[in-house]
Amino acid sequence: MTAAIGLERRFANFRAGLPARSEGVPDQAATRGWDARGTSIGAERLAAAVDGELVRTSRGSFVRVEAPSTLLPVDRGRLANLPGQPPADAPLLCLDTETTGLATAAGTLAFLVGLGWWQGSRFRQIQLLLPDHADEPALLTELASHIPRDGWLVTYNGRGFDWPLLVARYRMAGANPPLHAGHLDLLPLVRRVFRHRMTDARLASVEAELLGLRRHADVAGWEIPSRYLDYLRFGEPGPLVDVVRHNDEDVRSLGRLLVHVDRGYADAASWSEAPAGDLAGLARAFAQEGRNESALGCLDAALASKPQASAVYSVREDDLLAPERARLAIRESRPDDEPWWSPRRAPDFGGRPGRYAVGDAWSAADSSRRDAPWTESRMLTERARILRRLGRYRDAEAAWLALGAARGAIGTLAWVEVAKLREHRLGDLAGAVEAANAALRLAERQAWLGRPLPRLELALGLRLARLGARVARRQATSATRRRIESSVGTPSMPGPSTASEPAAAENMSRAVRSSAPSRAPSIAVATRLARKTSPAPVGSMARLDGIAG
Amino acid sequence: MEQTFYPTFDPEEERAVRTYAPAGTETVLARLLEEPSLAAAVTHHATLPARDARTAPFPAWLDARIVRGLEDRGITSLYSHQAEAVEAVHAGEDIVVVTPTASGKTLCYALPVLQALAEDPSARALFLFPTKALGQDQVAEFAGLAKASSLQVAAATYDGDTPAPIRSAIRTAGQVVVTNPDMLHSAILPHHTKWFQLFEQVRVIVIDELHTYRGVFGSHVANVLRRLLRLCAHYGSNPIIVCSSATIGNPAELAVQLTGRTHRLIDRNGAPAGARHILLVDPPLLDPATGARGSALTHAERWALPFLRAGRQTIVFGRARVAVEIILTRLREALREHLGPRSRIRGYRGGYLPTERRAIERGLRDGEILGVVSTNALELGVDIGALDVSILAGYPGSVAGTWQQLGRAGRRQETSVGVLIASGSAVDQYVIHHPQFLLEGSPEEARIDPDNLHVLLAHLRCATFERPFEPGDVFGPGPVDELLAFIGEEGHVRQSSDGRWYWSSENFPASEVSLRTAAPENVVIIDTTPDRPRVIGETDLFSAQVLVHSQAIYLHESQQYHVDKLDWGERKAYVRKVDVDYYTYANRAVTLKPLDVFASEPVTGGRRVHGEVMVASLVTLFKKLKFGTDENVGWGPIDLPELELQTTAYWLTYDEADGPGRAAARWRKDDLDVALLGAGRAIQTVAAVLLMVDPRDLGLVTQVRSPHSEAPTIYLYEAVPGGIGLSERLFKRHEELIAGAQALIEACDCDAGCPACTGPRLDPEVNGKSLALRLLAAMRAQRGVVGSAA
Repeated sequence: MTAAIGLERRFANFRAGLPARSEGVPDQAATRGWDARGTSIGAERLAAAVDGELVRTSRGSFVRVEAPSTLLPVDRGRLANLPGQPPADAPLLCLDTETTGLATAAGTLAFLVGLGWWQGSRFRQIQLLLPDHADEPALLTELASHIPRDGWLVTYNGRGFDWPLLVARYRMAGANPPLHAGHLDLLPLVRRVFRHRMTDARLASVEAELLGLRRHADVAGWEIPSRYLDYLRFGEPGPLVDVVRHNDEDVRSLGRLLVHVDRGYADAASWSEAPAGDLAGLARAFAQEGRNESALGCLDAALASKPQASAVYSVREDDLLAPERARLAIRESRPDDEPWWSPRRAPDFGGRPGRYAVGDAWSAADSSRRDAPWTESRMLTERARILRRLGRYRDAEAAWLALGAARGAIGTLAWVEVAKLREHRLGDLAGAVEAANAALRLAERQAWLGRPLPRLELALGLRLARLGARVARRQATSATRRRIESSVGTPSMPGPSTASEPAAAENMSRAVRSSAPSRAPSIAVATRLARKTSPAPVGSMARLDGIAG
Repeated sequence: MEQTFYPTFDPEEERAVRTYAPAGTETVLARLLEEPSLAAAVTHHATLPARDARTAPFPAWLDARIVRGLEDRGITSLYSHQAEAVEAVHAGEDIVVVTPTASGKTLCYALPVLQALAEDPSARALFLFPTKALGQDQVAEFAGLAKASSLQVAAATYDGDTPAPIRSAIRTAGQVVVTNPDMLHSAILPHHTKWFQLFEQVRVIVIDELHTYRGVFGSHVANVLRRLLRLCAHYGSNPIIVCSSATIGNPAELAVQLTGRTHRLIDRNGAPAGARHILLVDPPLLDPATGARGSALTHAERWALPFLRAGRQTIVFGRARVAVEIILTRLREALREHLGPRSRIRGYRGGYLPTERRAIERGLRDGEILGVVSTNALELGVDIGALDVSILAGYPGSVAGTWQQLGRAGRRQETSVGVLIASGSAVDQYVIHHPQFLLEGSPEEARIDPDNLHVLLAHLRCATFERPFEPGDVFGPGPVDELLAFIGEEGHVRQSSDGRWYWSSENFPASEVSLRTAAPENVVIIDTTPDRPRVIGETDLFSAQVLVHSQAIYLHESQQYHVDKLDWGERKAYVRKVDVDYYTYANRAVTLKPLDVFASEPVTGGRRVHGEVMVASLVTLFKKLKFGTDENVGWGPIDLPELELQTTAYWLTYDEADGPGRAAARWRKDDLDVALLGAGRAIQTVAAVLLMVDPRDLGLVTQVRSPHSEAPTIYLYEAVPGGIGLSERLFKRHEELIAGAQALIEACDCDAGCPACTGPRLDPEVNGKSLALRLLAAMRAQRGVVGSAA
């Protein structure tokens, strides 16, 4: 090629064309970096600075720092009662890494790994610190020797960050990541149970707000990568002393947090002491594991300790249910928008990826923000749901009816739930129509008060139409059946709730017929029927009628 | 100047062309050619004879399940090029397949991949497509074939639209991963440890639409592939690379440059084809003084209507969305009363929803849809079956693109028709008057320069992030140590005690490198039309000056955007969607200074040079020009700082004293100025055509007396920092440029220079055309003609 210009010439021209960068400070920096690069003198200085021991192996060297053990008793048998906990006999290994970046990609280095485990009632801790890039295989080998095959890792956000990063490091080194039996990430647990009273979900906030600890002169997380990278370039280990201390505290806090949870929540007997909101969150965690009985017990305990709780949250429910809630709920269905420490982020318990929460009316009304306070009505809602899941439909109905008395958006939704229960579980179509009408009334009241629930109203319209069709079908069949049965015997309908069947059918047809063109008669029917079932809504209905009139 | 954008039809004339009853393609074409006003505009009419299929039996080693799957789909043998490709891949050869649209390219790579999976389910394959839509289309086709062969194959697209929960499943279990270069660059390579199953077991890498990887993008992709192959080597795999390309002049060379490996060229097409008519149409000149021409859109409509009325499936390509909308509206209006539902004529472009697009594609395949008006969104391999007629309103910018669009018409048995209608631009005019350009072996080349230092250094950062370099390791052109030491000055990499180079920064380098621009500093283009503003593109600073200055009309995926504000300090351009009938053109005032000469040779009448230059560019005002006519409808000022660009250039100096009897014919300085500019414009046009680039990618500077050479000089510089290898090729193809420029000017019908040849006339008294021709004649080699230009 005539003009095959060598790389060297192009590179020379390229450098010449740059604005004078290659002179001055950077050059000097590079030279200093050269001197400092990973000589054993550098590693020894590092070990001395952080008060550790330089361990040399055939695969490189690492600095091992051991802190004195601390007394931190934990009752593993009791702890195992909680949802998502490791079996009582599995060894636990608390683990926390410090890294050169936030991506779990190939070029991010875990330069400091802090480990902690129980020896009897004492909590032992060591840290492994990397003196140079080239020494990484030595550190990884040492780390693997500390991870028992039957052990569980205990981390904070370790599922999403620390562990995948370490897996990447092992793969980079051409090795398989060490096996272990399980992984307990405390972040989702903290989210579930404590976020209603925390400013955010970072470990530092856990320490300050749950454990009542304050760190002094702690290094900020964003400073850590540059402190290590500066050490690599300039060989100055001094600024890493704070980083090592920071990591040591992080690992100890993992242990402390586990103890805190064990003491305060693992035994149902201690629930009476716990804040109601914590218990409500814990109930959700139980419910997610399908342990609905425990969830119900938790909620009952929470509702029993209600007085203090409602004193803390004196916020009026209607303030929390501003119309823009619906919009927030839609945003809520995109959990990835929030940074990991945000209380609003969805908890990730691992396992199969779930579907994103749908921004429906419920999430708009009761938890449009994941860190929303646990008001009494929110807990009652939760309780009613669990009763339904337990198959205690009558109790669930009663719980929803009690909530329906509260009016507002929650009351409206509670009546919808009553309608669903009666239609699908209790086989009470008349009651379902009546409940749906009650919901519609409350929704209209909300609209009157300037807090419309348009999607809900639309859904209610559809529900009433569908119910109407079912009633008509049922009437047709029951008419036929009555003709047959009059000669055979008395039928037993599954759980008729209010009146005898023919009367109910009549009511149903009236209610449905009238609901479409004009609502006035249907309200009358609903009110009359409601009076029979639950006294609570009647007052509200009367007042509502007053407003409407 | 009074001018009608769309001349109305003479009713008499139109009646002669009308055919209402269904008719064959040949019949309609014959009738159209009897119509004088249409026939007069046809500059060339070629008939390509029908071609029979050349087939070969399935290879004996092909898994019986795959054979059955193919037979179920009615495929009983392979075309000869498919058989050749499949055998070569089976033998472990890298190949590049170059055959026209609809010749069954997919099977060339699908069969070896299916065979590998049938033999070993742990095998993996990686498919690279330039766009997301194409990738999704191909994965569906591949999965269909796998299913027919009753093979359990997990094939999935991994791109920006892939939901997060599915991504981890694809990483671990995806046997065939379909993605695009951008995803590979920013999501797969930096996270290779999560993809180790793929990297360990990858047997075949498929790179489709090779010719789209050219210019800056191609230079980046070449480096992304270097990174990919480096990681494959690390994980112990050595995949075969299968490339496929549209017809370009240098497919094998491009494949070598992109992948660093030699590929066997497979270009003997064995697929059958019916006879084809190719017509080149040049709308007549309306005003010889200004060079104004009839509209390509109007002509496209006039050619399309009779075919549609006769029930022939027709596709019309427009270059911009607005052109598509205009043609579509007018076709629908004209057809309403004769053809029933208007919905049988549809539009198709980038902005449509995927479901809409799928519906149109399906409609075209089953004949439900009769006509479609499209942007180049339908140019690449999306499967719409074969149609009867393809009409191109304007040259698509490359011969390869032209054939892909023309190739949309071409049934296996029946006759088909392709019509290329030129617009008034110089490039279109050059192509339309050089039919051999289209019809006899493509002279256009896809150029990349993977060793452009801006690009190379950016990817060296990414590569170090992905895996440390050993001292003396080679990445691309040579050992990396010196370059890494240079990057190390910024502190992003360091050499450790074991001598290896490690990434040592918090930054995530792949997120800082855009595959679309060469320089690290870019202007981000933000669309403010939706509620949530979104980034639609990026452009380097040098191009930003002319592309996204305030009030510019920016074209992205055939959609026009108005630049509301260019925040130069923040490097952000805020745009919003518009539909207007003009485009903007910014005047760049350029001073140029040669820095280094790489090669220099005497030529007839002067000297040709290839070297490095420093370009200082100042943009001060822009013009608004109407589509089709280029009529000036307004202007505005631009207030941006001067920019410097270090790049490579090709230049030619003219030696007035050289040659027999030349000294006698002395130039007046003013005449020489005009001649240099006119000849330069023509050379720029020809260069853009030969190297498949937009004329804006090659800057033109002329100097009557260059301070460097002390002689009249024409410079063509690359508008990309460091250049992408264009100027080196221009230096080599100098003779073709001169001959082509001369032919372009001579073929133009205008009086004394127009935008289609030497550029707009600056002074009515001066004949730019004859002056430019005089200069070019003096520089024209006397001996035989080089290249294809007559």
